[in-house]
Amino acid sequence: MNTTSLARVESATAVSVRGLSKSYGGKLVLDDFDLDVRAGEVVGLIGANGAGKTTAVECLQGLRRPDTGTMTVLGLDPQRDPQRVRSQIGSQLQDSGLPDRMRVSEAVTLFAGPRAADPADLMEQFGIAHRARTPFAGLSGGERQRLFLVLALLNRPRLVILDELTQGLDPAARRNVWAAVAELRRTGVTVLLVTHELAEAEALCDRVIAMRTGRILDQGTPSELIARHAGEAIIRFTSVISQDDAVATALQELNGLPGVQVVTRSGSTFSIRGGRAAIAHIGAWLTARPEPVPTDLDVRTPDLEAALLTLLVADPSHPPAAQGLARTAGGAR
Amino acid sequence: MSTETLDLDRAPATAPRRVRSVARRLLSQELRLVSRDPFTLIFTVGFPILCVLTLGGVFGTEPAHGFPINPSHYYIASYFTVMIGAVGFVMLPTHIASYRERGVLRRFTAAGFARWSFLVAESWLGLISIAIAGAVLLAVAAPVYGVPLVHDPIRAGAGILVGSIAFVAIGVLLGTLLPSARAAQAVGLLLYFPSFLLGVGGPPTSVMPPTLRAIAENQPLALANQAIRDPWLGLGDGTTPLLIVAAIAIAATVLALRRGRL
Repeated sequence: MNTTSLARVESATAVSVRGLSKSYGGKLVLDDFDLDVRAGEVVGLIGANGAGKTTAVECLQGLRRPDTGTMTVLGLDPQRDPQRVRSQIGSQLQDSGLPDRMRVSEAVTLFAGPRAADPADLMEQFGIAHRARTPFAGLSGGERQRLFLVLALLNRPRLVILDELTQGLDPAARRNVWAAVAELRRTGVTVLLVTHELAEAEALCDRVIAMRTGRILDQGTPSELIARHAGEAIIRFTSVISQDDAVATALQELNGLPGVQVVTRSGSTFSIRGGRAAIAHIGAWLTARPEPVPTDLDVRTPDLEAALLTLLVADPSHPPAAQGLARTAGGAR
Repeated sequence: MSTETLDLDRAPATAPRRVRSVARRLLSQELRLVSRDPFTLIFTVGFPILCVLTLGGVFGTEPAHGFPINPSHYYIASYFTVMIGAVGFVMLPTHIASYRERGVLRRFTAAGFARWSFLVAESWLGLISIAIAGAVLLAVAAPVYGVPLVHDPIRAGAGILVGSIAFVAIGVLLGTLLPSARAAQAVGLLLYFPSFLLGVGGPPTSVMPPTLRAIAENQPLALANQAIRDPWLGLGDGTTPLLIVAAIAIAATVLALRRGRL
């Protein structure tokens, strides 16, 4: 793709949603939901269970009919023209399967349309070529996910919707799937990623949308969300400083470093909370000291999970449930 | 797994591949899957053949016990209809409902498979299954009891075709209505066994009490049986049941198409 065409694609809007609402049996699942995804962008939908993420992408695929709102996907209306929309989307759906006795190669042949990429290459790239004759029931969870990814990418889609992409994958397979999504970005494919795996969203997404009970809480790049909602880093180390006056001086110096907010000491362990900028200043302070550099330096940077949990707990409309989720997740790292 | 050279350039380097239509791809795949399903094979093919061989052995080849003709021939013609009932009441509903339950239909829909493609594939699957099961029935019965002479091939053929379409449509309709494979199997068997025993694969209606006989001669599978068996064996022209079964076929097809969501 040359620079001009790349610019044209990037300026185009792949998905545009306005005022989307959807209820199931009187329970509002999507509430006046707006979404814009630019062509070539990788956008993640994150949030607690029941946030409406899956319903939103199912509406985009024409699998569910919203109660109100308008949508455009790749220039088409999924309600009026669902067939054409779906033919340009590659989907990796939550809660869907294949017949137990269908073999991997048969599934790939069944789903391959006229524009399909080379099925053998894709199976090879996703590590399931050696399972070509294995029935679906004989595949492990990870192999099934990889097969679904192959099926999602098979027909060279312009938009790929991946719902719980790496569910059931081991860490190595997860990293490889992440690499595949990064490669999709390189080839200009728009990706809409629905995930509970916040490390995945942080690693893959250009932009992340945090949702709760059908509404958008906040959106931005992962770094922006982290900075807005989980800005503190925690630095811990053990120091050989033991004399009271030396400790007091050290605490005073640390408190005076740029970005440092709180310094505490428990025995010989120092804990410092502060912005990311504080990390470098503390490192400089440690190396400038006459004592040996601590070997147990532990730096915990804020991540997207911490940002989401802060967002959910801070959501004024549903504080009790959000706090419950925070407890379940073990709190912010 | 390597993803460094993911072959997903937007425009294919070559012209679009020639592929069969979705309906044809689905049909060939479905035929393969059914051929690997022992329950379906036993229920739609094995069970009716075993019944024909058993009943032929019990009642012999001489008209008696209320049979208007050679009982083994009577049952060979009737069990052709039993196979139609097995496909329509049990095989198709269970198959389609299990696809919904397991999210296979969602996957087909999300892949852009048109709703009608799946319905067409399932309908042809039913018709081809009936044709194969019927051929196997005749092939097995021929050396044992002989295949009964077809008195009115056109009407008998029409009966088989219309009866098959009617029950395939009923099967697709049930599959679209019932929420799970278990529900489809329960409802299907509940419909199948009374239909099978009354006026089709059970005793001749002439030996039944009047009320039961009225039911046995007017339930849908028995009407399909009369539309097939009577012109086949020369017991009647089967026009009235043929017309009723045709009406059932039209109604079931319309309802199946209207209900035919994936």
